[in-house]
Amino acid sequence: MKSTIINIKQLSLVALSAFILGSCTDKLDVNPTQTISSEQALKTEGDINATLIGAYDGIQSAAVYGGDIQVLNDLTGNSEDIQFTGTFAGLNDAYNALMASTNTFARDTWVASYNAINRTNNVLANLDKVVSSDANKKKVEGEALFLRASLHFELVRLFAKAPGDGDLNTNPGVPLILQPTLVVDESSYVTRATVKAVYDQVIADLTKAESLLPSSNSRYATKWAAAAQLSRAHLMLGNYAEARDAANRVITGSGKTLATDFSGLWFTQINLGGTPPAEYIFWSEVTTQDGVNDINTFFGRTIGSIPGTAGRSDCKIKASHLAKYEAGDTRNYFILSGGFNYTRKHLDRYGDVPVIRLAEMYLTRAEANQRLNTTVGATPLADVNRIRARAKLADLPSVTLDQILKERYLELAFEGHNLPDKKRLKQNVGTLAWNSPKLIFPIPQREIDVNKNLTQNEGY
Amino acid sequence: MRKKIIYSLLAAFFFLNAAVGQVLTVTGKVTDENGIPVSGVSVIEKGKASSGVSTDDKGIFKISANKGAVLLLTAVGYDNREISVTGESVAIAMSTSVKGLSEVVVTGFGGTAIKRELTGNIARVKGKEIENLPTPSVDQALQGKAAGVFVNSQSGKLGQAVTVRVRGNSSISASSQPLYVVDGTPITTNDQSSYGGDMNPLADLNPNDIESIEVLKDASAGAIYGSRAANGVVLITTKRGKAGRTQVTFNFQTGFAEATRRVQMLNSEQYAELILEGAKYRDDLDGTPVTDPDSWTSYVKNDVMGYYSYDQWKDDPKKTYDWQDHVMQKGPYHQADLQIRGGNDRTKFFSSFQHLDQTGTIIGNNLIRTSGRLNLDQKANEWLDLGVSLSLTRTYNRRLPGDNAFSNPLQAIALMPMTPFTDPNTGLPAGTPPGDVNIPLYYNPVITVQYAKYTQEVFRTFGNTYLKAKILPSLYFQTELGVDYLSQNEEGYFQTQTVRNQSRAARGLGSNNGAFVTNVNTQSYFGYDKTFSKSHLNATLGMQYQQSRAKYNFTEGTEFPSDSYQKIASAANKTGGSSSQSDYRFLSYFARANYSYNDKYLLSVSGRIDGSSRFGENERYGFFPAVSAGWIMSNENFMGNIDFLSFLKLRASWGRVGNAEIPNFPALGLYSGDAGYAGVPGQRPSQLANPNLQWETTDQFDIGVDYGIFKNRITGEIDYYQKNTSGLLLNVNVPGTSGFTSIFKNVGTMSNKGFEFVINTQNLIGAFKWNTNFNIARNIGKVENIQGQIIEGGVSSMNRVMEGQPVGIFFTPEFAGVDPANGNALFVKNVKKADGTLDKTTTSNYNEAQRVVAGDPNPDFIWGFTNNFSYKGFDASIFFNGVSGNQNNIYGMGRYSSASMLYEDNNTADQLGRWQKPGDVTNIPQVRLYRVNGSQASSRYIVDGSYIRLRSASIGYTFNNNFLKKAKIEKLRIYVSAFNLLTITDYPYWDPEVNADDFDSNIAKGNDFYTPPQPRTILFGINLNL
Repeated sequence: MKSTIINIKQLSLVALSAFILGSCTDKLDVNPTQTISSEQALKTEGDINATLIGAYDGIQSAAVYGGDIQVLNDLTGNSEDIQFTGTFAGLNDAYNALMASTNTFARDTWVASYNAINRTNNVLANLDKVVSSDANKKKVEGEALFLRASLHFELVRLFAKAPGDGDLNTNPGVPLILQPTLVVDESSYVTRATVKAVYDQVIADLTKAESLLPSSNSRYATKWAAAAQLSRAHLMLGNYAEARDAANRVITGSGKTLATDFSGLWFTQINLGGTPPAEYIFWSEVTTQDGVNDINTFFGRTIGSIPGTAGRSDCKIKASHLAKYEAGDTRNYFILSGGFNYTRKHLDRYGDVPVIRLAEMYLTRAEANQRLNTTVGATPLADVNRIRARAKLADLPSVTLDQILKERYLELAFEGHNLPDKKRLKQNVGTLAWNSPKLIFPIPQREIDVNKNLTQNEGY
Repeated sequence: MRKKIIYSLLAAFFFLNAAVGQVLTVTGKVTDENGIPVSGVSVIEKGKASSGVSTDDKGIFKISANKGAVLLLTAVGYDNREISVTGESVAIAMSTSVKGLSEVVVTGFGGTAIKRELTGNIARVKGKEIENLPTPSVDQALQGKAAGVFVNSQSGKLGQAVTVRVRGNSSISASSQPLYVVDGTPITTNDQSSYGGDMNPLADLNPNDIESIEVLKDASAGAIYGSRAANGVVLITTKRGKAGRTQVTFNFQTGFAEATRRVQMLNSEQYAELILEGAKYRDDLDGTPVTDPDSWTSYVKNDVMGYYSYDQWKDDPKKTYDWQDHVMQKGPYHQADLQIRGGNDRTKFFSSFQHLDQTGTIIGNNLIRTSGRLNLDQKANEWLDLGVSLSLTRTYNRRLPGDNAFSNPLQAIALMPMTPFTDPNTGLPAGTPPGDVNIPLYYNPVITVQYAKYTQEVFRTFGNTYLKAKILPSLYFQTELGVDYLSQNEEGYFQTQTVRNQSRAARGLGSNNGAFVTNVNTQSYFGYDKTFSKSHLNATLGMQYQQSRAKYNFTEGTEFPSDSYQKIASAANKTGGSSSQSDYRFLSYFARANYSYNDKYLLSVSGRIDGSSRFGENERYGFFPAVSAGWIMSNENFMGNIDFLSFLKLRASWGRVGNAEIPNFPALGLYSGDAGYAGVPGQRPSQLANPNLQWETTDQFDIGVDYGIFKNRITGEIDYYQKNTSGLLLNVNVPGTSGFTSIFKNVGTMSNKGFEFVINTQNLIGAFKWNTNFNIARNIGKVENIQGQIIEGGVSSMNRVMEGQPVGIFFTPEFAGVDPANGNALFVKNVKKADGTLDKTTTSNYNEAQRVVAGDPNPDFIWGFTNNFSYKGFDASIFFNGVSGNQNNIYGMGRYSSASMLYEDNNTADQLGRWQKPGDVTNIPQVRLYRVNGSQASSRYIVDGSYIRLRSASIGYTFNNNFLKKAKIEKLRIYVSAFNLLTITDYPYWDPEVNADDFDSNIAKGNDFYTPPQPRTILFGINLNL
């Protein structure tokens, strides 16, 4: 049995070492590789800059300025211009103004917008880390404020009653989120601020952003983007003087110019190599690797003769809409395919998604001047004729408010203006009155379910 | 295979040397009661497990043994027998009838137990029962074979993920799939693919290599796997060598598969009738004459039926193209297996080779698997055994896209019946450029089958080595190292013809994805086994460490010079690239002791301490104990005079197990660096922190009876269990206004309770043999408390987790049929009234109807029923399984295809029964083109998912004659087998055994979304034994 005794010693050693090998608990400290901890993420100015880029990525979401906000604003109730034949129930319901509180597009836009707002708030709460220069700090703050304000503005337009519909001092708007979320606690279960409070915050953020931002800033928000968004907010509120002045500041200060040809505004990937035309004031930049053009998804169509086009062919433009353009109007910009007309504006799969372009500012200034009987910057007639000339139309000898509004309608068709313009002008949307509750999006059911402090809109 | 066999053993011992203590060479012959030799009987000297041999085809064995030693003879289907080596030539005849309860069951970490002495609940499925099934993965084969194990194959796509639930669903956000352990190593079973639905990495294991599968169902059996056992543990043991003559088995089977069921769709005339009716409704509503060129009617005639039929519809309105038939096919099946098994008293081997070539029942799906295995056991010396298992597999799969893709071939049923398969202008499939790409109505999936390919190629290695050293006669130490290496490459190329579906494929789109998952497991343990007079003690003490690392990479390109270049090297524009990594680790210590006294009283205690990198830093280790006891009443004297009762054991167990199948880093507050904009890098907050996060805890109580009646011709088990799960790992919803939608927390409790009943009978013995197995289980799952969380999933978020309900019930408004006056779809309001009751009045305004619980995807009863017959050379078996009491959600197709022609999609034939005029009583609302009328999500689309299925049936004949003997063929069997031959169900779409891959989650079950049905396979086979 001698050999067995030796074996016991040897084996005990092996067994023991096997146990010791296993008893290193630090083996369980494993870190992720594609993500980093929150504490590490916001330490330096570079981190804050990266988070700001993340905020742009957030607004580029398909559900936000990637296109759904524009699509929903054009499509909702719009049987006047569009025949919708898509199978996304959420969009079909919006088109028929028969939305349910579970509408997925309403939900996704809500969730993605607040996700992007949280990104902007993480930037704003850490501005003290931007130390390289005062100019950089201002720029970062201005961009974050611009993005946050734009998101609150789009949300209040979709999910709350329009100014002028009842009392905006008491009408519920949307929750105003001004602090980053570090933990979810009681304060996360927010209530809806009034429409007034939301607009006040939007105007305050945009006013400050305009003062902080530089005149030129690559593909990012500029002073002029803030002023242009401000003119929109004031226009919604019927503050025509402020809207006019903000638009005038963009026209006179930005150095932006109208594209020579209307057709030069589109196909930014196919024809312009991804660079937007000078007329764009703010846009969501799409590359072949990043970003999405969801207006293209729903308004676009694959046209065999134009490589690079795509889309679901869901939004067919009615012949009655085409009939509204004068002969020779280059904005009669449609393509007939498979028996239907589709707008050419959004055929480019990787086309940049325009949010604001200069033509809108001329039309806003013209409308406000006309209403106020002023000529700040230019006469309404001059502004309208400038837009008409670019569309290769003859000058008008004189102009009325209705003519200005018609130019606006044709110039900006299918760029996300239909619903807000109809509501502000108190015009019917399809067969529904401008203030029909069916034209106001439901607070998403998931939010109602998870947050008892939120009230639902009428009719849901 | 439970038979009553009476066999006798005749053994003659010849002694080379009569001296006591000397090694003798013992030769014996084993026969059954009819004097027929029994081959393959394992003969070992007791206490020297590594020294065994087995009998040859004449029942002869030869073994070296000490005089006075005890030989243990075991064989599948026969009772164990012990013979003492006495030193004189002896002839022993014996007869016995005990069967079933003497099976040896694997319990994990080197442990085995005789079934009669088990105190936990372990279901055993023998390899023989699942061999040669045409299911690529072994989990599918478990269906109906083990009581309380629910299997749903989900999709007819080859090699895709399968749902397996052991005693119900005990989690909400964490995985509910069991842990799979192959030869001691927990293996990678989660999906690694980048295209279509989830794949099943178990398909890389050749099911014919399996000796046995043990499903550890209760906590006392599972606690040794601690934080990973709450969903049950599936121990897979592969075949090993046997001493004796080398046995060569060759099996070849060939046949074909077809879809089990089809759906009846409208023909062209019926389609036109319905859609024109819907158009007229719209025209009447708008006040437009149907003849107006701007009318809906004109639109439908010209721009729908005209345009999409290449203007052929007006010339031949009856011509119907059956798109369903066009995308289904008869898929050939071929499988060849070679297994070689043998060895001597020192070295034993098992080796196998398999080639499987299976074609799907839906066009464009193909699976080819080639695998080889070598399992080797070597007795190095008196105290050291060592061995290795190595399996190498290549699995090639031509994938189908996800169910929700237009390129899913089954979505072709939505295409209009007047659309020709072929573009008359080009002779190519409709919609292929240079023809009009916007015909048919939706993308023609045949184009993707013809002009695109997405293939997955997996090389998989399962490897294990072990060293087992005997320290004392009753004590051994074993150390094992196991590796599961999964190397996967996926390649996709979409030619320009697919541009309507892949808009980026205008000049070709190529992608290449790699996944490399290295899973290393090491475990070392002491085993102790000793008998002290009437007591028997068996104990295990050890540790286990596992680390898994998954690495992924991806490249993508567009702009290819032509479709002849399909590798990214030729892509002018590299549009995508990525690499990523994820890790997890487990470190564990475990102990187990089984004690029995006088073969009557049984006690088992086990425990495990588990640590995991997945848990928060405040809660890194957990302790998982279990205790169980058994009482073999039939061995008590007072039971001695109950003649019919051969065996009776009562057992009870309690244990605590955990579920750690959560994402790898759920506890950390994280930022992700994937938030770039226009080529500039960016980051975003992506996850909220929870440092207190830990495993889910399940306490399980089980009480059971094992019984044997009439000399054990009837045996079985009855069990009742209760599982209480607490600390549910919930992905808790938070207000979206926070910038997040959810956070992982341990909140909430749920329970599962149920019973299982198993009966095995040997109905006829003798020349004509017939035996029956029946198992049935009922599970009642209930979410007790989720602190008011709303958790949704599935098609249109209709699956929901609600307190007081099973996981994933369907929550949707209640459909109330059609108003006979106007054809409006009606819904029950179900608004809670002041007195607490529900308002049962109906409304046609969908928004006025509250959602209610409208169904449950979890079955009430699951059962399996097997009958085996044999007579002389003939053998036959027939196996049914059934699932009842569950509902499926058909809203995926229903909202388009059973929707009163809401869109231009072709509809199911039942829509012809729509409301047409006042007074019509029907459940199909009036047809209103593009005006929603009853096609909203509702209980209209929640349907019965119960079924009874003739899962498999086979008949075979074994030739055993002199001619074969001369040709050196020991045995020749030919057979025909059929799978899913018959399905009895009321399900209106394809297959009630379904779950749409693009919606699949732990809570989203029972959804159908143009999901391919299970295949019905007929195979012809030949089996040769040399």
